[in-house]
Formats: sequence, structure tokens, C-alpha cells
Amino acid sequence: MEKKKIIEFKGIRKVFPGVVALKGFDLAIYEKEILGLVGENGAGKSTLMKIMTGNYQPDGGQFLLRGQPIVLGGSMEAIEHGIGMVFQEGSILPNLTVTENLFLCHEKEFSKGWFISESAMVAEARKALEENGLDINPTTLCGNLSPAQRQMVEITRLLWLSRLYRHENPILILDEPTTVLLEKEIKTLFEILNRIKEHATVILISHRLEEIIENSDRIVVLKDGDYVTEMPGKAADIFKIEQLMVGRDMVEGYYRRNEQVDPTDTVVLEVKDLAIESILEPISFTLHKGEILALVGLIGSGKEELVKCLGGSMQATQGSIYRNGKRISIKQPKHAIAHAIGYIPIDRRIEGLATDLDIADNINMLVYKKLKSRGFINKRKERDNANHWMGVVKVKATSHRMKCGNLSGGNQQKVVLGKWLSADAEILIVDHPTRGIDVGAKDEIYHHIRQLAKQGKSMIIMCDTLEEDIGLCNRMLILKDGKKVNEVSCPPDAKPAPTDIIESIV
Amino acid sequence: MQKDGIGKQPAIKRIKGRVAGLPAISYALGMLVLFIVIFAVGSATFLTRYNMLTIGNSAAILLAVAMGQVFAILTGGIDLSVGGIMSLVSVVLMKTLEPLGFWAYWLSLAVGIAAGFLNGLINSRFRIPSFITTLGSNGIFMSIAYMISIKPLSAPSSSFGVLDIVNGTTLGIRNIMLLGVLIFMLFFVIQRYTITGRNIMLLGSNEKMSWLSGVDIFKVRTIAFTLSGFGAALAGVMLASNLYSGYPTLGTVYILNSIASVVIGGTAMTGGAGGVLNTLVGVMVMSVINNGMNIIGIDVYAQQSFLGVLVIIAVAISFDRSKLSVIK
Repeated sequence: MEKKKIIEFKGIRKVFPGVVALKGFDLAIYEKEILGLVGENGAGKSTLMKIMTGNYQPDGGQFLLRGQPIVLGGSMEAIEHGIGMVFQEGSILPNLTVTENLFLCHEKEFSKGWFISESAMVAEARKALEENGLDINPTTLCGNLSPAQRQMVEITRLLWLSRLYRHENPILILDEPTTVLLEKEIKTLFEILNRIKEHATVILISHRLEEIIENSDRIVVLKDGDYVTEMPGKAADIFKIEQLMVGRDMVEGYYRRNEQVDPTDTVVLEVKDLAIESILEPISFTLHKGEILALVGLIGSGKEELVKCLGGSMQATQGSIYRNGKRISIKQPKHAIAHAIGYIPIDRRIEGLATDLDIADNINMLVYKKLKSRGFINKRKERDNANHWMGVVKVKATSHRMKCGNLSGGNQQKVVLGKWLSADAEILIVDHPTRGIDVGAKDEIYHHIRQLAKQGKSMIIMCDTLEEDIGLCNRMLILKDGKKVNEVSCPPDAKPAPTDIIESIV
Repeated sequence: MQKDGIGKQPAIKRIKGRVAGLPAISYALGMLVLFIVIFAVGSATFLTRYNMLTIGNSAAILLAVAMGQVFAILTGGIDLSVGGIMSLVSVVLMKTLEPLGFWAYWLSLAVGIAAGFLNGLINSRFRIPSFITTLGSNGIFMSIAYMISIKPLSAPSSSFGVLDIVNGTTLGIRNIMLLGVLIFMLFFVIQRYTITGRNIMLLGSNEKMSWLSGVDIFKVRTIAFTLSGFGAALAGVMLASNLYSGYPTLGTVYILNSIASVVIGGTAMTGGAGGVLNTLVGVMVMSVINNGMNIIGIDVYAQQSFLGVLVIIAVAISFDRSKLSVIK
């Protein structure tokens, strides 16, 4: 390849307490390419990104930018050096206009004396947007834009900034850019990225391997903080990449498939014609004792809303829910809890834990009634209950008085699990059980899920990847555009191939 | 460029770094010792038995109102109406002492509890920030007190005996101090050993999660503000009995003093951390400072600026700013 190297990592290494995030490998990134970076959670992708954007400093090795070793002190310094990142959640302020967002903190460029020229800003914004082929009015409030448009504004801002700091070939990093986008918008995004590629480097992180393969010039596979291999984008084979990412044979063992048990015939939960206006069309399904049911579908398929209805944080507009054959009504989370339905949320730090409080407080919060003696909460019972469940779910901590905010993602997830087990939840809704958890802890979570199924707990799961869904579940429901489109059985010895499922999802 | 903002830590963060790991309450204990030493050195009368009793007397009253206030703050809210409640309660007590006798105390407490309940109801049901709710209701309570009596009301001499419930002594100890101890124990148990107390901590720590975990956040919030009203009512009757009078501005100074006690004790304004024990120490600090400044002869008006500075410093040390994206 005759392309010039823009970034080069030599023996790059990063260590966190207890985890080696990057094991010291070499990697070159070239001008004018789209690089797809793939790997499981915990493979080191985001650590690498954070080194590029100056949020982390490497513990060893060299980071060369345009041939020069460099140390970046933060995102702003990274931007000054032509490296910008578009975050998953976005960093656009919804209460400001497109123009204001584009030039935030750089209004000085448009000042005449003491005053800022609004018209010059708007004109420049219009020009910048047009250059990227965007049809967005610069005076609209960003809150009124679609997620896709906001992302475009962010990209435009980064490109404009890199020009302000006179960089020929800016580097754009996109972290899971398509999770919030619709199909059509995804197409537009990649069209624009391909155009931007003419004068920039794009680094793409995505869990959707199809996207990566289709749009990257080159794919680099990371695993457990190490460089595995790289390959040209278009020719790559999705199964090959999956195997490389996981590093072991997917067919046997992984997801603790050999521990999968067949559910009993007892129906613990039945949903009849449940619908949410303009989100979910009437859907019916059953859940058996000891069954793991996966809900599969894209964003907008209605699966997130469906489980919210079961957990009580959202209300269905019609339909009915039966628990052990009896009709129940779930208007609030506490009603679901009363029927032994627990909800393990996707964002544990916001919805699952009180991070300021300790492990005991978090595990015990649902069962204080059981920990009373003579009308008051008993400290000893409290400690014993916490220690018991910490042991069951194997939380690694020095004491039950350790603050949850100081635990690793995997241990936090175990605390949330312990909290619901302690409350005798019979049905668990598990929203992305392994999100943000490193590989080793993931396996432990799989183990727990299998154990719980064996004990007769029923679970509804929604996973990070389709493979995880297939691997873990007994049965999967496939949703698309608010409709149930298919139901697939996933026995341990005859798991369907992801490609067969993907057809019904998209 | 924005470069100068990077890599530099605010001075306060560096100071915090050095004493990091210490629980918030230790700052307050340090402050308490420091001020006791300063005032003991500055004045010979500070450490006398008489003066210690004076401090204990005022501490008992501040304690009652601060014990309530801390529950409002633990939920992540604030109660600015404690002053209004104290004033209203003092007027109600003095007005009804003669016809009702001892029952005037129960009526006064009931008024304070109802006022707190109202705050909680408006705050939780109508989702109006407690800051606004109680700022408004403080005015309402004061105005009702004015409507009952525009002039200060004095206790009729025939009722002096009834006031002994606060002003008398039991086994040689002043009743007002015994009341202070009882109130502390009551609130301590509520916070540490009841489900409501635990739920208040949960709510203050993470409201969304509490709701998803089945906590009735309306009820818990309402209870927290009702407790705050109860604390203010206790303080109101104690102070009014102590002064043998009640008037519509009696409690005003206790708004700042109660919040300051809570904050100095190390309870986070963001909720969920700290509590009753912290506040006890905060109350001691405030009472020592208020008394000491008088004793060593600091000008009354200058005292206010000193207290103001102290509160801001206490917040700077104890406040967990990392929880907020923007300081408002």
C-alpha cells in the first residue's frame, strides 16, 4: 500500500487495576481509509480510542501521529491535532441551534471587536453543512433534529474544527454510530462517510459486523487487548471474524451451551394481544418455567417497549398479561415486583444500582421487610442476607460495606442479580446482561443464567449480539417494526445460524 | 484556546485530594474541635458551666429543626419553609395556651406536621421542585402567623406551669436538653432502622432506580417533608416556650442555620449521603460558633458574613460535584 501512515501504535500498552486492557501491539492507520475495528466488549477497542482522543495515556509503547510521537492531554487537544470522536450518545446540545453547536467555544472566529457576528456564523455553518452534502437549516434547534441529523452536525463540527487547526487529513472516530439510526439513515451515513474518506481517515467501531464488512477498507480484529489479525474489508467473511473475535470455536461450549436445560411445560407468564399504540402491534407469547426466551429485533422493533410493559415502567394500551394462569395488571414497577417479576436494566449505573450506597444496601433494598425484628431493621440480618447473596452470585469485594460505585461492571451486574434473587424473583427480564462487562466476567454471568434456568427461574433476555441471544436462549421471538415476525427454537444441539435469523430481523 | 482548562485541577479538588478517604463527618468534628479551642483561648467565660448550658439550650432547638431538614435534603430536596413553620407554630402555641393548656402543644405539633405534609404533597404530586414549593409555602405560613397575630404574643402567666414541659428540669437536667436527646434518638432510629429511612436514602441516591425497584417515591418524598415539618414544629414549640412568646418572624433565622448545620455535618445537598449523625455534629458546630462569636465580642452584623463564608466553605468541601454535570 502506498498510502501514508497517519497514526502508528508501537507496542501500545495500557493497564488498569486487575485488567491489562492493551497488551502491547503494533497497529498502523492510514490516510484516506475507513478502518473497521472489531472485537468483543473488553477487547480493547474503546481503550484504544480513548488513547487517540487523549482521555487515557498509554502505560507503554509509542503513539505516533503523522510520524511524530505525541501525548494528548484530552479531547480538546486531540481536536487541535485533528482527531475527533463522535460518541454513541452524541454530544450535541439540544437547546442550541445547529450553528451554535457547530461553532461552540469557537465563536471568537466570528467576532468583530467585542461582538460576534451572527450572520457570519450562519453563513459559515451553511457552507460547512453543504460541503458535507447535508440539507439542514443552520438556524434550527438541534433538539428538533433526528438522531441521524445530529450525528451529521457533530461530524460537520469535527471536520470544520480540523480545518480550523489546519489539518489536511483529519481522523474521525465513530463509536457505534448506527445504533440510534434507521435503515435509511444508516445508508446516508455511510454515503457521507465514503465521501469524507476522500480527505480524511474514518475509524469505525460497531457491533454490526455486516456494516463493518460492507463499508470498511480494512478490518482489524482485537481480542483480549491484543491485535489478532487484519483483512481487507469487502472480502471478509462474517463467521471468520466472529471466530477470531471470540477466539474459540463458537459451536461448542461458548455461552455455556452444554449447560442448557429444557424448560418445563408449566407456563409462568402469558402475554395475550399486548399492544402499544404506534409502537407495538398486538403480540402474544408464553414463557415457561426454566425457559430462557430471547427477544430479538432492531431498535424500533418494539422489544424494548415490550419488556418495559412487563416490568411496569411503561403501560400497554391494550392486551392482557397472565401470571401462572391468573390475569394480572402491571401499572408500575412495584406491581411487577409483587408478581415476582424482576428487571435487570441495560444501564445498571442509572437504573439498577444506587452507586453511592454500599453492596448490602443494594442487595437488601427489596427485602427490608424480611430483615426486620421487633419492627426495626436488624443489622445482623441485613449483613447476613447481603453476605449470603454476595456468595451466591460470587461478587468479588472486600466487604458488604463496599460502595457499589467502586465495583467493576461485572461485579455491579452481579449485585443487581443478587438483589433480585434475594427478592425471590421468579421471572427475570435481563436487558443486555453483558453490556460493558469484560470477557471473563461475561462467562460468569452466562454461568449464572444457566444455573438460574436449572433452578426453574424464567428469563426474558435481550443481548448485545445476535450470537449471544442464539447461544443463550431456548427459544427466540423475532420482532420487526412492532410485529412478531418469527419464533425460532434454539435447542443446544441445533442452534440456528445467525445469517438465517438476520433475514427475518431486517 | 480552551487549553488552559485542561490538566489543571481546581484548588479545592487538590485540598480534597489530601484528606480524601476521610468520611465527611470528620471535617465537621475537626471544625468543632478547632472552634472550641479558638473560643476557649479567646474568652475565659466560654468553657464555664453556665455557658455550656446556654450552648446546649440553643443546640437542642437547632437540633430539632435540623433533624427534620436533613430528611428533606437526603431526598435531594430542601425545605426552606422550616422558618415559616416554626413561626406559625409559635404563634399557634401562644394563642391556644390559655384555652387548651397542655393540649396546645399537640395542636401546635399537628399544625407543623400538616404544613410539612402539604409541602411533601405539592412537591411529589405536582412535581414542583422542593426549592420552589417551600420558598412559596414559607411565605404562606408566615402570612398565616401574621393573620393570627401581627404583634408578638406572650404566654399568659397562668400558663407558665404548662411551659415547664420545656423549661423545667427532670432529675436536675433541663427538660429542653432531654428533649434534644430524645429527638435525636427518634430521628436516628427512623433513618437507620426503618424501611422509610432506608427508602429516603435510596431515593436521594438514585430516584429512577428506586422507582424501578418498587419504592413508592411519592409516599417517601411526602414522608420526608412531613418529618421536616415535624422537626420544625418541635423546634417552634421549644423556642416559643423558652422565650415565653411567639411571633411571625421567630423562625426566620433557622432556615439558614438548619441548612448550614446539615451541610457542615457533611450531608450532600445532592441527597443520599450523610444523615442524622452528621447533622448532630453540624448542629454542635453551629451552636458553638454562634455562641462563641457573641462571647468574644464579634459584632452582630459581622457574624452573619462569617457564617456565610463558613457555609460556602463547608459546601465546597462536602459537596459531591461529580454528580452534577453543570453547577447551577
